[in-house]
Amino acid sequence: MGLPKLPWRSQSALLIFSFFFFLSSVSIFSSPVAASSSSYSTMHNNNWAVLVCTSRFWFNYRHMANTLSLYRTVKRLGIPDERIILMLADDMACNARNNYPAQVFNNENHQLNLYGDNVEVDYRGYEVTVENFLRVLTGHHETAVPRSKRLLSDEGSHILLYMTGHGGDEFLKFQDNEELQSHDLADAVKQMKEKHRFKELLIMVDTCQAATLFSQLHSPDVLAIGSSKKGENSYSHHLDSDVGVSVVDRFTFYTLAFFEKLNMYSNASLSSLFNSFNPSLLMSTAYHRMDLYKRPLNEVPVTNFFGSVMKTIHTDSAYPGIFGKHSREQIETTLGSANSNANQGTSKSMINQESGNSNLDMKSQSGSSFLGKLERFSFITKKKKKVLASQERKALYLLFQ
Amino acid sequence: MDLRCLCLLSLLLLSLGFPPISALGSVAGTDEDFTEELLLKPLPDRKVLSHFHFETSAPHTSVYGRHHRIFPKAVYQLVHKFRIREIELSFTQGRWNYERWGGFDSLSSQNAKPPGVELWASFDVPPDEVDLTWRNLTHALSGLFCASINFLESSTAYSAPQLVPRFNLSGIRYGSLPREAVCTENLTPWLKLLPCRDKAGLAAILDRPSIYKGFYHSQRLHLVSSEFGPNEGVGAGIILVQTLTTVIQPDFQSTDEISLQPSWSISSIFGRKIPGQCVLARLSNVFLELEKGLVVELEKLGLEHVNMKGLSKNPIFELSGTPDRLVGEVSQKSSVFYEFNVNKYAVDDPLDLGITWKLPMVWSCLLAPFHATRFLMGSGNERGSIAISLRSLHSDLGLPSSEFESSPLAKHGCTVRVVIFQVVPWYVKVYYHTLKIFIDGKTYVLSDVIEKMHVSPSEDKLSPGMMEIIFRLPCDMRSATIIVDFDKGFLHIDEYPPDANQGFDIPSAIVSFPDFHASAYLTDKSLSNESLLLFRFQEKNHVQSYTEVLLVPLTTPDFSMPYNVITFTCTVLALYFGSLLNVLRRRVGEEERFLKSEAALKPGLLPKLLTKLSAKLRRKSPESPQPPSPSPPSSSSFVSLRLLLKVILVAVLAIVWHYYLNDN
Repeated sequence: MGLPKLPWRSQSALLIFSFFFFLSSVSIFSSPVAASSSSYSTMHNNNWAVLVCTSRFWFNYRHMANTLSLYRTVKRLGIPDERIILMLADDMACNARNNYPAQVFNNENHQLNLYGDNVEVDYRGYEVTVENFLRVLTGHHETAVPRSKRLLSDEGSHILLYMTGHGGDEFLKFQDNEELQSHDLADAVKQMKEKHRFKELLIMVDTCQAATLFSQLHSPDVLAIGSSKKGENSYSHHLDSDVGVSVVDRFTFYTLAFFEKLNMYSNASLSSLFNSFNPSLLMSTAYHRMDLYKRPLNEVPVTNFFGSVMKTIHTDSAYPGIFGKHSREQIETTLGSANSNANQGTSKSMINQESGNSNLDMKSQSGSSFLGKLERFSFITKKKKKVLASQERKALYLLFQ
Repeated sequence: MDLRCLCLLSLLLLSLGFPPISALGSVAGTDEDFTEELLLKPLPDRKVLSHFHFETSAPHTSVYGRHHRIFPKAVYQLVHKFRIREIELSFTQGRWNYERWGGFDSLSSQNAKPPGVELWASFDVPPDEVDLTWRNLTHALSGLFCASINFLESSTAYSAPQLVPRFNLSGIRYGSLPREAVCTENLTPWLKLLPCRDKAGLAAILDRPSIYKGFYHSQRLHLVSSEFGPNEGVGAGIILVQTLTTVIQPDFQSTDEISLQPSWSISSIFGRKIPGQCVLARLSNVFLELEKGLVVELEKLGLEHVNMKGLSKNPIFELSGTPDRLVGEVSQKSSVFYEFNVNKYAVDDPLDLGITWKLPMVWSCLLAPFHATRFLMGSGNERGSIAISLRSLHSDLGLPSSEFESSPLAKHGCTVRVVIFQVVPWYVKVYYHTLKIFIDGKTYVLSDVIEKMHVSPSEDKLSPGMMEIIFRLPCDMRSATIIVDFDKGFLHIDEYPPDANQGFDIPSAIVSFPDFHASAYLTDKSLSNESLLLFRFQEKNHVQSYTEVLLVPLTTPDFSMPYNVITFTCTVLALYFGSLLNVLRRRVGEEERFLKSEAALKPGLLPKLLTKLSAKLRRKSPESPQPPSPSPPSSSSFVSLRLLLKVILVAVLAIVWHYYLNDN
């Protein structure tokens, strides 16, 4: 794939440039940004999704259909089942009232069975409680709880948290029995941040007055979008007369309409998703809170959260080791090597810049102009692998594959 | 790329090289083995039973090591982590119809399961660690099978039976969740334990909507391990049996002939055909069973022996495809199995076994000695009784009935043993001393009919009530009813489930008949090499049946009660104190004087009326001749207010007096 093959001279010039840039960045950012850069020191290297349907009872069919639609979408875009925590508060697929056993539809044309053949539900029925939900987020589990029921994310994870159900001003009802309050959510997110359980978190809520649920959030790197503002209701999209109930909510319906056009390789950004919500179609105002989020939304691809697409760095030489919190020690060692064999050290120092500096990270992400060494890369495609393998002396490192 | 090619090549070579070895090795128990089989059986009530049987076995670890190419790793790790000797887990929806689908054959006694999830396991751990191991196992299984099996972790949910013949093992725990939903997400991980998953072989026809629209489906996993315990190293290591039993109503193809049994085929039931066998399977067979009742009826119609020769030109039914073998039972007039080997079929030539009926047939199935039902008696939210009723289905269980006419207690004559095992959650407080038994409508002394009893009463929020009783009932009895009373308990407001108003489930009771064994005596002795499904049928199975799940409505609190109480109390207090304060602070004389002075200053219409009113209120003679209409109610309200004040004062005095007296 289009890695520009630079002549040796320009390579070395770039190398020297990058070396100086690197030195300056180290001197600037060495002491004061220690705390804040810790989250940026780790690259985005895995994706998780927590999808929650909080409503029980048959007439809330649409909430389960919402959640399963998102489940299907994130699975299609590349998040594997073991990294999806799916919580469904009731059994609609095999419900006695369901005319179509083992099938759930989100459209009256019945073209797509959301339940499919390989659905894996992690928490279901009575297990979907506020307590379990907060345990999943914060990771406080009993020791016996199996891995498939845990959110095993780390500081390099992008997490999509999708919730749907009945809610109100600053709360979301679970099972028509208990409530999750905006303070609870904010506390859980704060704990997650402190325990380095995510790099970036996207909270998406489809409920009445969804925006109020975000009001208490104050942790950095959190982006939140809700289906409606305070005082607004979120409405269902349409009724399926064969199933007998409404099958999808408006906000989710138009979210899905946006995603159905995409595949793993699309570059659609979050801002294009957020702008796609039309208040007159939604009958409510989709509200996104982005004061806690630092990256510009038009540069963040939706596949960063809804898929498992991340940046991949390929280097000339062997992988230098895990870079993370301790990268600064490594910097010293790799400096020497970059000096000594200037021909090959380009990418090494590149990696260290990546890990050490957030600004650089963004710059390099914006295009191939910066050395052309970075590329957004989906880690599953064999085609690309082959092409890359053919490029001489370019090794591909699939991070945390 | 070269490496991958090599790997593939070697895998191919291995898979090519293994079948003969495994075929030999399985007999000696030195290699892993996988077989897949499917049994299809027309049922008397126009439905079709399909029973999938997958059996995977691994040799003992000391012989074979820890690495397996077929045996699922997840299960192997489970066995070793929790030192499991035997485990059975079933996911079921629907109720097995013992009267129409059979109650005395191996299939029903093994595969008829109670609704929801049933789990029992026996561990090879010290007795004090069994509970802990069980708890950890439930969590592990809940993760593995996408179900809330972890609710069996609580000590209020499981028990340790001793007398039920099937649970005659040490270190056993039993629990069931009657309301657990069973759907695709439970089948997905179950299929992933198979070496070919649902991509090839018999499992490829498992179309989810077809399975779940049926009348009954039960997905079962039974594992026996000889990895631990006294006979360590003996036998076949771990044997994992996975079965899926479904009862499906085939679509009627022609509406004009209602009296005919519906004609069906695999593709009409499941919507798919069998695309050949799973290449990793040693055996891959499909059987069509004609049960005893049907064979008898067929012979009555002149079809002497339902053998291979007569099959092609018989006037009653027609099979699509020719069977490879006929496996019949030893005794005549018993069920027969037509065997179809799947290895002859491929994706472009799939197997689509079906049966077309030409003449109407009516037959009955094998029935259990007793039909067991359970129901609730009594009304109201305070107390009730559980009744288990046994109805004899055979008139000739043993000796003629005349022997028992003289002696009411069948002590010396023919008796039948019946084991009843029932677990009741703690909030249904069963009083075991109220146990009564009625045989043919007459009360019996319990000690005369009970052989052995193991009862552990429930403890609130600690353990469920468990009852295991071995009854000795006379053979000739027509019906027996066992009744036990209970009180309904209260849960804490936080302990109610979100749908508490639906009621609470009491898990199915097990009614077991240790004197009766359902086992097929088949002609072929070497079945373990040819069909493990039939081999399992030949084993001695205790006949048992499950009763219904009971739904007990408990008193549910008004969940919005705290809010209601607060608002209601506040309203009452506000009304009381408001009016009291008003009455206490009001000085009527002052007001009158004030009004008079006002009237003197500004004699308008309204003040005049007011003075009139106040005069009225004080019951002075009215100065003006016309009486205002609203005066009577207002005056009465004032009087009643005064009266109310007096009553309240008296009441307060009385209360104070009462408390004063009480304190003394």
